[in-house]
Amino acid sequence: MRSERTRHNKIIFSGTVGAGKSTAINALSDITTVSTEAVASDSTARLKPTTTVAMDYGVLNLPDGEKVMLYGTPGQERFSFMWDILSEGGIGLILLINNASPDPLQDLEGYLGAFRQFIASTAVTIGVTHMDSSPQPGLDAYRARLIALGLSPMPAIFRADARSRDDVATLVKALLYTLNPGLNDA
Amino acid sequence: MTRAQPSSPTEHPSALLLLHVGSMDARLIGLSIERHWTRSVRLVETLEEAQVVLIDCDRPGIEAALDQLAGHPRIGIVYYAFHPKDHALRFQPRPVLGKPLNLEALPATLNQARVDAAHMIAAAPPRPMAPALAVSSPVAYPRAPAPLGHSLMTDDERDLCGGMDDIPTTPGSSLPDKLFFNPDDYLIGRLQQALALASASGRPHLISGLPRLIGIEPRPVPVCITAFRENQLRPLAMTQLPESTGRIVSTPIIGEADSQPVHRAAEDFLWNAAAWAARGRLPAGSDPYQPVRLRAWPNFTYAFASPHAMRIAALWTRMHASPVEIATRLGIPHRYVFSVYSAASFAGLLDTTAKHENAPVAPFPPAPSDKPARGSVLSRILRKLRDAV
Repeated sequence: MRSERTRHNKIIFSGTVGAGKSTAINALSDITTVSTEAVASDSTARLKPTTTVAMDYGVLNLPDGEKVMLYGTPGQERFSFMWDILSEGGIGLILLINNASPDPLQDLEGYLGAFRQFIASTAVTIGVTHMDSSPQPGLDAYRARLIALGLSPMPAIFRADARSRDDVATLVKALLYTLNPGLNDA
Repeated sequence: MTRAQPSSPTEHPSALLLLHVGSMDARLIGLSIERHWTRSVRLVETLEEAQVVLIDCDRPGIEAALDQLAGHPRIGIVYYAFHPKDHALRFQPRPVLGKPLNLEALPATLNQARVDAAHMIAAAPPRPMAPALAVSSPVAYPRAPAPLGHSLMTDDERDLCGGMDDIPTTPGSSLPDKLFFNPDDYLIGRLQQALALASASGRPHLISGLPRLIGIEPRPVPVCITAFRENQLRPLAMTQLPESTGRIVSTPIIGEADSQPVHRAAEDFLWNAAAWAARGRLPAGSDPYQPVRLRAWPNFTYAFASPHAMRIAALWTRMHASPVEIATRLGIPHRYVFSVYSAASFAGLLDTTAKHENAPVAPFPPAPSDKPARGSVLSRILRKLRDAV
């Protein structure tokens, strides 16, 4: 029997500490996000006072009663063992990168590497957050890195405000169309 | 490029009074009349001269404007608003257009309103709050088909993609002139020129002569700085500009004093300006049968997504194909793809390196991993997001 985690459809939100994973899930979720944030006790504390140490999730309720779970992975690398478990059976990955972090392009590369197998069988879209306060690197630098990494097709990559439901929904829509451009919402 | 003069249903141009409109709208409409509509509309300055008036429902002081009209029942009235449905009942049977105004269709609407005002005088006046009149006019009367739009979707679809028919799927036939637009006639042409000059010189450049600031700073990544609001940019970008308007000038610094200008990535800004100018057409000189590719997705959290734009981006980032092929594969009208093509070409996202993929042109099949059940879930998620956002 499959676990509760894999029985529902899942969209995975991952990315760097402070990129806004929990915020993005909260912006999109139909329920109050269940979060397991805790006071950060390591270098993460310099970036934000609390961080997700386990996972958090929200839900999109579809009209027919079906649910889509929105899972957020812990941002800290020491919890990376959870990433594979959480992403099992997922529809695809929304990757959020904090542009204010010391080396966001390296973060991008690291996360794409960590989720390589998952992405190969599904799809990824990338939201770059905090670009208003940290405009560099720009989207073209990210695109160049994606080309260098040989990702094909080129994933969608947008500037994103994790607080904005429109922005988060746009990321998810791009993920769905990447999975199947034949989908029609018109 | 030839510019069509909108046909007038009457012999004489309608005398239009901009009774209650903002200065920006007045300037754009004035420019359009001066440049394109001299045979169908003329501006007047008093109610006594006016045959039709234009009223912006969203501006404060509308009641005073309506009071002025009380003694002029023969004057046609065209209202416009961000949310026309909110006003349709109150002002019926007068048309309430959606913002932004479709300037190409406005003269016909004004003329129709003028004619209908005369008919209303001749006929028994409608009871207040009665259902919408059944009118033969194609204008946006309450509950009537709306060429200028009641719903956002209808507005977007028409404003961004026009209504042009498909072209032949194989080259050989001559293509209609109306398939193409000259970017130099629009804001996008000025922006493109300013961007080129700023990038080449390393100095900021301004587009002078516009009602508000638009400039380009080269920076490491070019940025567009503007004091136009979003709802002002769209009609400006859709309007053909007089040749004398919008000279490009170099400047040591782009002034920040002009009502809190916003900074946008030039790529995003040019995407929008080009999409709004194109309205489902291609830039002059484009080949709709030439395989190209999107080198990247546009930044759709700001770049305007016309109908099907995300589907088009998803497909066109994974394959070289002509605009006509993309439309065929997705099973959509060509104009939607032409809109994305135009926007991408000015945003620098089009890879024109010739490389044709020899897959047969057929409607897009489901992705191999897209099992039917999952495909259905994807569609339902999409519908949920579309309906909720």
